[in-house]
Amino acid sequence: MKECKVIIMGFGSVGQGVANALSMKKDLIKDKTGVDVKVVAAADSSSSAISQDGLDEELLVKTKNKEGKLSAYPEFGSDKNGADVLDAVEYDCLIEATPTNIVDAQPALSLTLKAFEQGKDVVTSNKGHLALKFKEVVGAAEKAGVEFKYEASVGGSMPIINFTKETLASCEIKSIKGILNGTTNYILSRMTSEGSEYEVILKESQELGIAETDPTQDVEGIDAACKTVILANSLLGIDATYSDVKVQGISQINSEAIELAKRDDYLIKLIAEVSPDNLQVSPRLVKRGSSYDVSGTLNMATIKTDLADEVSVIGLGAGSLETASAMLTDLISILKNKY
Amino acid sequence: MRINLVLELLDSPGQLVKALEPISNYGVNLVTVIHKRDYKNDNGNVPVQLTIEGEQEDLKSIVNKYEELGFSIIEMDGVVLKEKITTVFFGHIVDQDLRDTMDRINALDGVVIVAFDIKLNGEEKSTALINIEADIGRKQDVFNRIAEIAEEKDLLVINEV
Repeated sequence: MKECKVIIMGFGSVGQGVANALSMKKDLIKDKTGVDVKVVAAADSSSSAISQDGLDEELLVKTKNKEGKLSAYPEFGSDKNGADVLDAVEYDCLIEATPTNIVDAQPALSLTLKAFEQGKDVVTSNKGHLALKFKEVVGAAEKAGVEFKYEASVGGSMPIINFTKETLASCEIKSIKGILNGTTNYILSRMTSEGSEYEVILKESQELGIAETDPTQDVEGIDAACKTVILANSLLGIDATYSDVKVQGISQINSEAIELAKRDDYLIKLIAEVSPDNLQVSPRLVKRGSSYDVSGTLNMATIKTDLADEVSVIGLGAGSLETASAMLTDLISILKNKY
Repeated sequence: MRINLVLELLDSPGQLVKALEPISNYGVNLVTVIHKRDYKNDNGNVPVQLTIEGEQEDLKSIVNKYEELGFSIIEMDGVVLKEKITTVFFGHIVDQDLRDTMDRINALDGVVIVAFDIKLNGEEKSTALINIEADIGRKQDVFNRIAEIAEEKDLLVINEV
């Protein structure tokens, strides 16, 4: 039996989701690809668990949740963290799930480049390095001759990057417009259905864990702008970086605007637009009942093509297992191509 | 020769007669007229569908006459001639010279504001929804003008997707 040894870097919601999903889907992956996937290391921000013979995914999650750090993993716990983990064990693929950093893209950037240098494939859910240095990172993967997959960086479980590249391979992509941030969509949906003010719904969303304590990345459109850059580069071949996107968040949207729009059968949504002459994240009016009319934390995107006209996709944009599903799909496609 | 027109009439007495007068004046045949006063367009106007038959020159004169009289022809022979643009402004809309804002949008060729709905909030920023009707192909000009005004007057704009 062929084997693929993976390292999971970052053990928050996404990293744990990957561990859980792997433990659920190991047999299926074996059946589909003939490859046995083995987690040889997992690391959080300060520690890790490392074993060349493989770790137990469920025990990793249990340890992290119970003890707060992976160094408490029985027998194989370690104080090594960050790039050192990549040197501590033999592996084939890095599953990189560290938090997005839009200032300097670390630690994702150096971890990813190091893995490429070591000749390893990388699957990521991170947006920072892609939004700031797309060309550099993708170029490094090509130079190293390794696979680099990032479906999970946009839209969580909603298929868009691989879908557009592979399923719509016959088409030229003219533009992509969509809702790429679930938190803001949730806030705007509730403001629409309840007529409440922004601050009230934001506070409730924070209590429900849908919005973060510091909601800036979501509500000011930063997260959606990162995704705009990733789609622009990967699907439309636009050489853009974060600073090229015009960004306007939703914090100024009030119930009056929503009510006025409603009277004319419109909804207000935070829309990301990716086209050669416009990279923009801003609140927009969308017709009720149109493909943009999705509520709650759902994400959607309408891809405008030359042959197939418009194709729309919808899916859950966040969540532990949902995001992990996209990373596992990327891993499976690597296994199918390379093993 | 025969043409199909869709006109928009104000919802007030005597409008339909006014619209039919040029047809009789030019001695052109009225083939069909469909007028349902209960059905209104988004801007509150009533669409009326006409099919008229006659000499090409006369038909042309009638179309010109409608334009002169200010009747808006939204469709000719199945081709839509007007499109609707909806946008929302948020900011100090009144204080920032509302009249100037509207004049500057209306000053664009073939563009007219057909409805304006505003919510005032004391001294705070207000919110307005504007319906604009524009000749086909003028949409980008309208968006550009709106962006220019918004930038100058520090208004938040929410355009259609």
